[in-house]
Amino acid sequence: MSQPESSSPAAIELDGLTVNLGGRPILVDLRASLRGRAIGLLGPNGAGKTTLLRTLLGFFPPTAGSAEVLGFSLANEGKQLRAQIGYMPENDAYVAGMTAVHFVRLMAELSGLPPEPALERAHETLFYVGLGEARYRKLGTFSTGMKQMVKLAQALVHGPRLLMLDEPTNGLDPPARKRMLELVTDIRDRGEAYIVLSSHLLRDVEMVCDEVMILKNGRIAATCDLEAERKANRSFVELELQASSDQFARELTELGCELAVHETGRMKLVLPKGRTVRDLYTVADRLGVGIRHLDLKRDSLQDIFLRAMEDDNGGV
Amino acid sequence: MAVYERTWRRYQGELTSLRRRWLVVTRYALSDTFASRIFTAFYAVCFLPSVVGLFFIYLSHNASLLQQLGMPADVMSILTEKFFMILFLWQAVPAFLVAVIVSPSLIAADLSNNALPLYLARPIDQREYVLGKMAVLAILLSPMTWIMGLLIFGLQAYLEGGGWWLQNYRIGLAYLVGHLAWIVVISMLTLAISAWVRFKPVARGALFGIIFILAGFAQAMNEVTGTSWGDLLNLVRAINSVVMSLFGAPTPSGLPVLFNWLTLAAATALSIWLINRKLRPHEVVR
Repeated sequence: MSQPESSSPAAIELDGLTVNLGGRPILVDLRASLRGRAIGLLGPNGAGKTTLLRTLLGFFPPTAGSAEVLGFSLANEGKQLRAQIGYMPENDAYVAGMTAVHFVRLMAELSGLPPEPALERAHETLFYVGLGEARYRKLGTFSTGMKQMVKLAQALVHGPRLLMLDEPTNGLDPPARKRMLELVTDIRDRGEAYIVLSSHLLRDVEMVCDEVMILKNGRIAATCDLEAERKANRSFVELELQASSDQFARELTELGCELAVHETGRMKLVLPKGRTVRDLYTVADRLGVGIRHLDLKRDSLQDIFLRAMEDDNGGV
Repeated sequence: MAVYERTWRRYQGELTSLRRRWLVVTRYALSDTFASRIFTAFYAVCFLPSVVGLFFIYLSHNASLLQQLGMPADVMSILTEKFFMILFLWQAVPAFLVAVIVSPSLIAADLSNNALPLYLARPIDQREYVLGKMAVLAILLSPMTWIMGLLIFGLQAYLEGGGWWLQNYRIGLAYLVGHLAWIVVISMLTLAISAWVRFKPVARGALFGIIFILAGFAQAMNEVTGTSWGDLLNLVRAINSVVMSLFGAPTPSGLPVLFNWLTLAAATALSIWLINRKLRPHEVVR
């Protein structure tokens, strides 16, 4: 898998980061240099995604190794670092008795904004996330979707350089999920803030992120620059023949295709650069082989994820 | 950027001082506290003992008014330590009630819906968060206790003149140190309860339980053992003894006053430990 370009400064630099909690290793020797504008943290439940975010926020002290976020050292520049971060936790997080605007303003002031700009930005941010009309309602009366949006608003209000979103689409219905992802994509496209999106939903990560780190059992199972993968546009083809043909397989190999043949006649292959699906049809026509089904797809995040999960060693 | 634009941009303006950031916690908690008109009215009533004390001192130095009211001219003679001790008690009781009313929601409100990580994900740490919450109680309780106490002491010294203040400096010291000690102990204790008990009525009950049931238990312990060691568990007697010793009066506890100070210090330390255990930026799943 391709790695991100090394010219841009790393948003997150992990150097052997290890975190033990309750005597158990949760994150093990994480080493990565994440340079994407929108970084996805993928992994099954319990892989260590949330622990990594919390460690980067200074909630858990590293047992070994170190990390830098936006050039700030986790070990001795925690406060300066947290001033640059907007954090949206996975679970509900609000003060029930407060109105939305009061709550978001409080969070802005805690991040260092003077009272007046904090109030101004609280209003603006609530309108931005679509809660303008509900901003004087108490948070305890909000629906799940509205609470998610308030969490996003409080993470955005102080204009952070890095936005950490932990499962932001949790509990959202399809329209609300779409709205949330549109907002995150909009923030990404403005280019004013880095985004770290932790999720187990591949589609969310694929839609928003340009770089992905896949965690498995607290280790990095894979990192990949999705943007580069998209540009490389490696073509994967699944095809099914009317009858299996060794000759057809041999000819495809000669064309430079990497392929796996199933005894039922089904094939999975990767087209080399310069070759197209048309070449496959040409070969089939020349050999008189009937193609029953053909599906062309690029190397999706799902494939990358599944490969990473299959690798028992958890290596990149 | 206007709200109708519905857009987002980074904040490039000035930031407030990192050192004073914890005061935001205090300011918001105070504003929430005074949002209740009933509380505001009750808080004003809590100043009544001090106002009465001030009036009494003024009265005692106004011979013509005393004569009109038919009071003896030597009423001054009762303005001794006893007057100030009684006034101290009448200031401490409302202060305790204010702490009981305000404190249960100070930390519990942030913990009950998991808002604490949002505070601690910002440039503010656990210590500053607790300091901010404690300052709420200090700001609420100080004016009605030691500040008014010192004001009354100052008025008496001014009207009396001469070397009265020098002869009675212990009164001023007792007001300052005694009330501050009580504020620190009661603040930490109530914050600890607020951190562990999320329901206000239960938290208030727990506070009364710790203060008064423990006092009863301590008394029973004294009776059974025939000693005064039970006083180590009696917060009321401990603060009472400390204040009495500051006034230079005999203490109600059978233990040396140092032990009473130790009781208060232990209660504070235990409260801090309990707060520290509970205030984590994440839920501990066992």
